[in-house]
Amino acid sequence: MTDEEVCGTKGALNQVTVTINGREYSAEEGEILLGVAIRENVEIPHLCYEASLSPSGACRLCMVGVRKKGKTEMTTSCTLRVTEGLDVVTETPEILRHRKMLLELYLAEAPKSEVIKSLAARYGVTKTRFFKKAEPADPLGNKCVLCGLCVRVCNEIMGGGVISFVNRGPYTVVATPFFGENPICLGCGACAQVCPTHAIEIENPGDERIMTSWGKTRVKLRQCPVCGKYYAPDILAETIYAKITPPLSQQIQDMCPDCRRKYLAKQEVLVKSGDFSGGNNHV
Amino acid sequence: MDEKTLDDIISQYDAPSGRLLGILGEIQNRERYIPRELLEMLSAKLKIPLSHLYSLVTFYSFFSLQPVGDHRVTVCMGTACHVKGAAAILTTLEQLLCLPEGVTEETRSPVTTEDNAFTLEIARCFGACSIAPVLRVDNHLYGYATPDGLPAILEEYGWRKHED
Amino acid sequence: MKIKSYAGFINRQCVGLQKLKPDIPRITVGLATCGAAVGGTVIFERLKRSIEEQGLDISLIPTGCIGYCREEPIVTITHPGKPLVLLHRVCEDDTDEILRAVASGSVPFDKALCRIEAWDHLMGCTVKYGTGFDQIPLYDEIPFFGRQHKVILRDAGLINPEDVDEFLAVGGYSAAYLALTEMRPNQVLDEVERSGLRGRGGAGFPAGLKWRITKEKKSDKKYIICNADEGDPGAYMNRNEMESDPHMLIEGMILGAYAIGVEEGLIYIRAEYPLAIKRLTCALEQARKSGILGTNIFGSGFSFDIQIATGAGAFVCGESTALIASIEGRTGRPHPRPPRLTDAGLWGKPTDLNNVETWCNVPVIIKNGVDWYTEIGAENNTGTKVFSLVGDVERVGLVEVPLGTSINTIVFDVGNGGAEGKPVKAVQTGGPSGGCIPVRLFDTTVDFESLNAIGSIMGSGGIVVMDEDTNMVDIARYFISFATGESCGKCIPCREGLKHTLLLLNRILAGKGTETDLVTLQDLSETIVATSLCGLGQTAPNPVLTTLAYFREEYDALVKS
Repeated sequence: MTDEEVCGTKGALNQVTVTINGREYSAEEGEILLGVAIRENVEIPHLCYEASLSPSGACRLCMVGVRKKGKTEMTTSCTLRVTEGLDVVTETPEILRHRKMLLELYLAEAPKSEVIKSLAARYGVTKTRFFKKAEPADPLGNKCVLCGLCVRVCNEIMGGGVISFVNRGPYTVVATPFFGENPICLGCGACAQVCPTHAIEIENPGDERIMTSWGKTRVKLRQCPVCGKYYAPDILAETIYAKITPPLSQQIQDMCPDCRRKYLAKQEVLVKSGDFSGGNNHV
Repeated sequence: MDEKTLDDIISQYDAPSGRLLGILGEIQNRERYIPRELLEMLSAKLKIPLSHLYSLVTFYSFFSLQPVGDHRVTVCMGTACHVKGAAAILTTLEQLLCLPEGVTEETRSPVTTEDNAFTLEIARCFGACSIAPVLRVDNHLYGYATPDGLPAILEEYGWRKHED
Repeated sequence: MKIKSYAGFINRQCVGLQKLKPDIPRITVGLATCGAAVGGTVIFERLKRSIEEQGLDISLIPTGCIGYCREEPIVTITHPGKPLVLLHRVCEDDTDEILRAVASGSVPFDKALCRIEAWDHLMGCTVKYGTGFDQIPLYDEIPFFGRQHKVILRDAGLINPEDVDEFLAVGGYSAAYLALTEMRPNQVLDEVERSGLRGRGGAGFPAGLKWRITKEKKSDKKYIICNADEGDPGAYMNRNEMESDPHMLIEGMILGAYAIGVEEGLIYIRAEYPLAIKRLTCALEQARKSGILGTNIFGSGFSFDIQIATGAGAFVCGESTALIASIEGRTGRPHPRPPRLTDAGLWGKPTDLNNVETWCNVPVIIKNGVDWYTEIGAENNTGTKVFSLVGDVERVGLVEVPLGTSINTIVFDVGNGGAEGKPVKAVQTGGPSGGCIPVRLFDTTVDFESLNAIGSIMGSGGIVVMDEDTNMVDIARYFISFATGESCGKCIPCREGLKHTLLLLNRILAGKGTETDLVTLQDLSETIVATSLCGLGQTAPNPVLTTLAYFREEYDALVKS
């Protein structure tokens, strides 16, 4: 790449043709190549990519070969933007050799992750030559691969800023400030949802949620006045309700999703039958 | 540091470029470490999540979250110093300051003596390669250091030989 | 007083020249970081006290470093009409003798290293000191100096870095004055482009092209930044350039800003360089007061100012995207390029980033022209480069030679070979990203392409000499340990790969390694090079790969034992 080559023109909607492993596909100019591959069911291994989050290029597994002027240059497909005539190959002997080495490193870094084990096995890597991490007190259970999806979802989508990367180099971990409880955590659990290796642990014992991996941060759960079930973090519900205009009625706010659905369905029936006495229709 | 001082520091850095690291650097220089309360206060004042600030101070080696001793001894570990015997300087300092051998390189973080008089740490390169090996005590640079010359340097800072 | 006209400019030059060549004797003491540390400060204070106590009519001035670091502390004496005399290895006890000699119109001959009768500062100004003291060798007769070609270091150690007048006296800011008052921005840009100047930070990207790309981007705001995060262990030329001649950097940036069309510049400097920060801050302040920075520079209508941003101890922040992150108050974790800085740099705006020495090359190009500049150096590698020659070498110091000079010339002719006469085994160039070059390849010329071809890089210009006692596997381990500690931890090949490389090297050095470990070491290194996100990781295994290639027998011996 030279300095003149700019990153894809964002917002352009030109349809272009790209070649992946010799087959042609249609894509939007500026689209992320890995996104195209996922849509078209072309297999490219990846751990740190999520379409709704900013690309990171951290896991290095999605590296593909870009063919240009008779040469093949390796680059990450999660940061590669599509242009007309782009020609990539997802597997060459060189790519496979490096991918296997990276998987060995992942097996050493996250030895307890079944996801990593099966991903590695798909490429014939069943053991690692490297010293395996084994920290009994690791709050992420020796499963974290530092893909950063949890940090990005917490900061970019939830606006939480609860967790961040701490330290640097081989000492890098994801944690809360001072590894303690973080009172600003909404307990939304988006971090655990996006985690590719299921490293983040959350428990829901009774009336509270414990973000076990995040300094055992405790978040109060809201109880449904109808069925009595604890269904969502209080603070998360408040944050979301505050964004809804016009505001929901208190009665509806407090209900769990199941009871709310039943309640609204019942209201619907009553409205249709002309009986308004059943309650508040201020929804 | 009181709140007023922190406000003054913040107001010195009005341009966005270089602001956050400038403020943190100023706190580090004055307090010789970054106290947790100040980090929390800064987070509230600047409306920046504490996690973000914590990430910064644990990433950049200039910041320390632990209080350091009265005198800070920094051994340069640049290439020229390495070739000229920085390892022996470090080991000798560890012996003189009664610190476990190898602890400084192993942990890569500052180690403080029990009496809180000295903190020993390593630096990547002072850029004083021509007078290697080099060490710094507080703000004083010492060139052409030798293991034999170290007790005399430490004595300038109140160190006395341990009588067993 | 702000300079607003040519008369005003000349006036200030005269003021400066009067300081540089006063009617009374002038004594200077080299007070860059290293000179100060080995006794310069003590000597300066002692001289100052004695001059005051004895009421002597002598001008005492602090200067930067003339580059012959092994001979520090260096003191110079200039009597009116006589040559400038360099004294070397001065110690505190010599000060009385120095003052006695100076008071009687002489110099202490036993301390004299050489004399300078006239000095061409290359900016249209030759300072003629005078003749006499013929028993002292001439500057050019000193082998360490004689083989050098000083362009960037032309003022270092001779002028007071904390006095803008002295910089003006030696032709400083005359290129900026010329450009702002008589040249169009495009002319300045064309000159730099045609000079062939390449980035001195290591990668060697054409500076003029980078300027042009930034200039052609459409944006309401653009920035230029000076990368002064000199992090390579063993390299300190940028520190000296800033400590000895800070205005040279400022002048280069003014010219760049004018050519590109930028109003705001930044110098990103590492926190480990407190003296350079102090001198730059002082220089910026003086330049503003003199109307050289700020609004309406030289009355030309062009406005530009420079701010300083300090680092906080992270080698990776020398990488361009990490550097930007650091200025913006984020952790220095690089992000993939594109977008490049010239598209979206500081605060998302087009940004031109150049190394200290790159900026410092600009004033002489504009002042003396492309033909003059391209005479220096080699094909596609024009100009000079400053190297820090350190380690097991006899004459330690800063060496400026034309690009294309051989390693032999630098290490043996300038450096006089191994310290204490020991045979030299190798040099290491380019810091943690570079490689170890065996003595049999010392006829390699130092230019961007030749060093790459043998597995090393120019980097910022550190040359660490290693003698026969050096264990090359230990050197590889040293660099990997450095890179592991400085890895940002974002991508796995660098974060985990380097850690395991270090563990492997530890095992091999402990005599517990096997042949298989050497294969793993090679394979792992190749993967780190091929798959790392940024330049730090991509080049970190170079010390391992070059020692495996050139000093394989040392690994084999450890594995077999």
